[in-house]
Amino acid sequence: MATGRETPPPYVAAVEELATGAPVAAGGEPSRPVPGRPRAERIRQVVVYTLLIGIALLFFTPFFWSVSTSLKSLQESVQGFDLLPDDPDLSAYRDALTSFNFGRYMLNSAIIAVSVTLFNLVLASIGGYAFARLRFPGREVLFMLVLATLMIPDQLRLVPVFLTLIDFPLTGWNLIGTYQGFVLINLVTATNLFLMRQYFLTIPKDYEEAAKLDGAGYFKTYWKVMLPLAGPALAAVTILQFQGTWNEFFWALIILQDEAKYPLTVGISTFVGVYNTQWPELMAASVLAILPVAAIFVVFQRYFVAGVAAAGVKG
Amino acid sequence: MSNRRLTFGAALTAVLFVVAIAGAGAGQARPDGKAPAASEVSGNLIFAHWSSSPVETDLLKQVIAGFEKKYPNINVRRRALDPYAESMLAQFAARKPPDVFYVDSNVAPDWIRQRLIEPLNGYVNRYGFRTKPFYPRLLSAFQSGGETYGFPKDWSPLGMQTNNEMLSKGGVRAPQNWNDLRTAAQRLRSTNAVPGGRPICLSPGWDRLLAFVYQNNGAFLSTDKKKAVVNSAANNQTASFYLGLIQGGLAGTPAQLGVGWCGEALGKEKAAIIFEGNWVVPFMATDFPNVRYTNNAMIRNKSQGNLAFTVSYSIARDSKQKAAAWTLLTYLTGKEGMTTWTSKGLALPSRTDVKAVPGRQAFLQAAPHARPWQFAPGFAKVMTVAGNELTAALEGKQSIDVMLNKIQTEAQRTLKRGR
Amino acid sequence: MAAVAAAETAGSLRSAKLREALVGYGFVLVPMVVFAFFFIYPIVYAVYISFHDWGILGKEASVGLANYRFLIEDDLFWRAIRRTIYYTVGVVPAQMALGLFLAVIVHSGLRGRTFFRAAYYFPSLASSAAITAIAIYILNADGLLNAALGLNQPWFNDSDTALESIMGLNAWTTSGTMMLFYLAPLQAIPTDVYEAAAIDGAGRWRTFWKITFPLLKPGHFFVAVVSVIGALKVFDQAFIVSGGAGGPAYSTLTGVLYLYQIAIQDVDFGYGATVGVALFVLIFTVTAIQRLLFGKAEVT
Repeated sequence: MATGRETPPPYVAAVEELATGAPVAAGGEPSRPVPGRPRAERIRQVVVYTLLIGIALLFFTPFFWSVSTSLKSLQESVQGFDLLPDDPDLSAYRDALTSFNFGRYMLNSAIIAVSVTLFNLVLASIGGYAFARLRFPGREVLFMLVLATLMIPDQLRLVPVFLTLIDFPLTGWNLIGTYQGFVLINLVTATNLFLMRQYFLTIPKDYEEAAKLDGAGYFKTYWKVMLPLAGPALAAVTILQFQGTWNEFFWALIILQDEAKYPLTVGISTFVGVYNTQWPELMAASVLAILPVAAIFVVFQRYFVAGVAAAGVKG
Repeated sequence: MSNRRLTFGAALTAVLFVVAIAGAGAGQARPDGKAPAASEVSGNLIFAHWSSSPVETDLLKQVIAGFEKKYPNINVRRRALDPYAESMLAQFAARKPPDVFYVDSNVAPDWIRQRLIEPLNGYVNRYGFRTKPFYPRLLSAFQSGGETYGFPKDWSPLGMQTNNEMLSKGGVRAPQNWNDLRTAAQRLRSTNAVPGGRPICLSPGWDRLLAFVYQNNGAFLSTDKKKAVVNSAANNQTASFYLGLIQGGLAGTPAQLGVGWCGEALGKEKAAIIFEGNWVVPFMATDFPNVRYTNNAMIRNKSQGNLAFTVSYSIARDSKQKAAAWTLLTYLTGKEGMTTWTSKGLALPSRTDVKAVPGRQAFLQAAPHARPWQFAPGFAKVMTVAGNELTAALEGKQSIDVMLNKIQTEAQRTLKRGR
Repeated sequence: MAAVAAAETAGSLRSAKLREALVGYGFVLVPMVVFAFFFIYPIVYAVYISFHDWGILGKEASVGLANYRFLIEDDLFWRAIRRTIYYTVGVVPAQMALGLFLAVIVHSGLRGRTFFRAAYYFPSLASSAAITAIAIYILNADGLLNAALGLNQPWFNDSDTALESIMGLNAWTTSGTMMLFYLAPLQAIPTDVYEAAAIDGAGRWRTFWKITFPLLKPGHFFVAVVSVIGALKVFDQAFIVSGGAGGPAYSTLTGVLYLYQIAIQDVDFGYGATVGVALFVLIFTVTAIQRLLFGKAEVT
């Protein structure tokens, strides 16, 4: 049983047909346009693509606006919404890179984002597998507890978490002002664990049964069978967690506290004033900050393409 | 022989005595009193603040550098905290707060009541620090029960900013009182001096309206802060005047004018008259340098009334370096530190012996009568109610009577609860 | 002989079950410990201090149920709850529908798929400063939307439209994330299912509704739960738009904003904890109901 996409599901064919104007038979290749109504099909094709591209452009607007503002002067940027700068120059980028230790802050962001993402990938996938496939007493109760962690507002957690970190139980460590403290509270999130569990639930049991017949233990099944099948979910966790940590502000400020450890988000916020926001520099810094996250997205989004590499379990 | 020795000894003693007195007197003659000598204090201090703008942060760095030069044995680690309140509260709760930090006058009653701030009278007496140069009303914002908890680092009241061209086009002079204001706005409207906007920009919040309340001899709290006096006839009159200007089209809220705050309305020339504080000056200079406007004194009605927005430097009760912290505190709020801090005009000095940059007379003359923007402990919830009831009244969803009564009820309940 | 064999089988079955349980616990150990320290302990701590008058530096007095009695009479709290529920009911279907729609487009065999995938995810990447500025530009009194509709409505600052504007803004900015949440389970649907449906002569849209949509149930459950919890906890935009006051006229006073006002502004930790616990109970109840409704469809 393959999970490749040799044949597109019929509803996919519907979208394809709308776009290309060609009806796609399930299991077949796109055929020629229906004879006798070529113009209607072309119009539909244009309409659908225009709609989709229009939506895409709308979604890109924040980025266009950020770039545009970063090339303007402050006075021009407060005047109004004009996508084309009158006299574009890169001075805002120069200011943004020199106002604070941009390189250092970016490195800090990278350190915490990479660590947190790696830990999450490992712990959420193995935990998600256990919740999806292994039976142990109290599993459902524990799972509700996992969900419960999502229900606690940050402001309510603020003081207890801070107290825990400043005098860590059983060890007396002071983790405030350390990368470790920040990574520790983000070691694994319920969202990622939940996501992995839901994904594992959809994988047919045949794979594990085959592995079991081959004598594989639970860890080997996880490592050699479930994990390779979980490409899209792992990609989702990577993208979302990396970006979430990269853009983290509240807990980063409260825990890291040391200027040498500040992530980029803190540096960027120095351009935000109560009355005097420095828009060009703020946008320049934001644009530069987006690049790594966008890179991660581009790299990992390919796992959402043609399905999962599921060659079955070799004997 | 012994006689001469005795005389010499007496003379020497007398001379020493005189020199000692002269020396002590010289200490008194210094503006700040006896600050600890550089060799006496040492330590590592953590100093926390919020950052309003990069220019301010640079200025702060400058001031601290000046301090560290004078006191080379004290090392100051500066921390810009954001969000400020949450960070400070978490550190207070963990009993490991920064040593010196900002305290906004609005939160001072709560932080003082929760015993987070070190009382300073003892230090004032021990070191002979002169508190007389501080404007008394500003200092009083950080005093409670006869004890001082901080010294104001700067301040600003509200003023009235007017667009020069628009006023001359309307043939109007800067108003002095409420009647003037209404008349001027009517003229500006009829001569279409503010195309695409409204004559006045009024912010729909108590942090502006309260100034007008004071101008009409009203208030929220009695002088001893034990009773709420919100639903008085005077306040009703004030609110009717203020909201009436907006509802009658003579004034617009920032939202109605399509801007974020009234300063932006002045900059984008959507209003000819606004009421903002000293912070509008650097804003206009950087964002809208081509708009010509004037800083006028705040208007008055039955009396002069204004708000004072001020922030103090304070020491944490849990600080482990109180002597060093005191040294930093007195430097920052002393003549030298404050002169540097206010040298760019980003804020006004809270001491009478420090000169403000030129052109700020309109603000400074409010010092004798401006009242600090603060209430009683536990009032944040009351102000939430007050702000929301005000906007509800502005939208016509309830009468001003009802609004004032609701605020009065909430205020009374909070005062009774003793929080 | 057979009895011994049967007994051995039974024994090995039991030990197999034990092994499975131990491995299960082992696999979830680290996550549960992290959750215990940084989530469960705080909520237990909050319950504890909700029975006291609690200042920043610690216990001031033990007051039993007084805080909860106050809570029941607290008009502002119930207002905040109503606003929060209204917000959730409005925003969650929008988020889910938009996310699913984008995921389907991106998952299809469309040309330029990669471009669309990147484009639809972009708002999630953009800095909140940029998003807020754009939103303000579009929804200003003399902004883009009003110009298009010929109106003069200050969308963010009118009590009739402030929260609704936030709903629209959030649905848009989270749609990229919801799209990713749906893409993963979409990928996992095997194609033979479609082949079978095609052989049975099912039409295209019918296949989507009758086959794909139901097969996405684990995905729906996930997106629904995460969406609802996130909506019930909404804070950031309400805070920015109202300057922390929850206005105009209480329209943006959400549950967590009220909690912030009590705990951080009023520095009243005891009552703040009470509000926090009440919010937690609300969110937990709603999620438990969701779990019961979806529970039967789970494949375990």
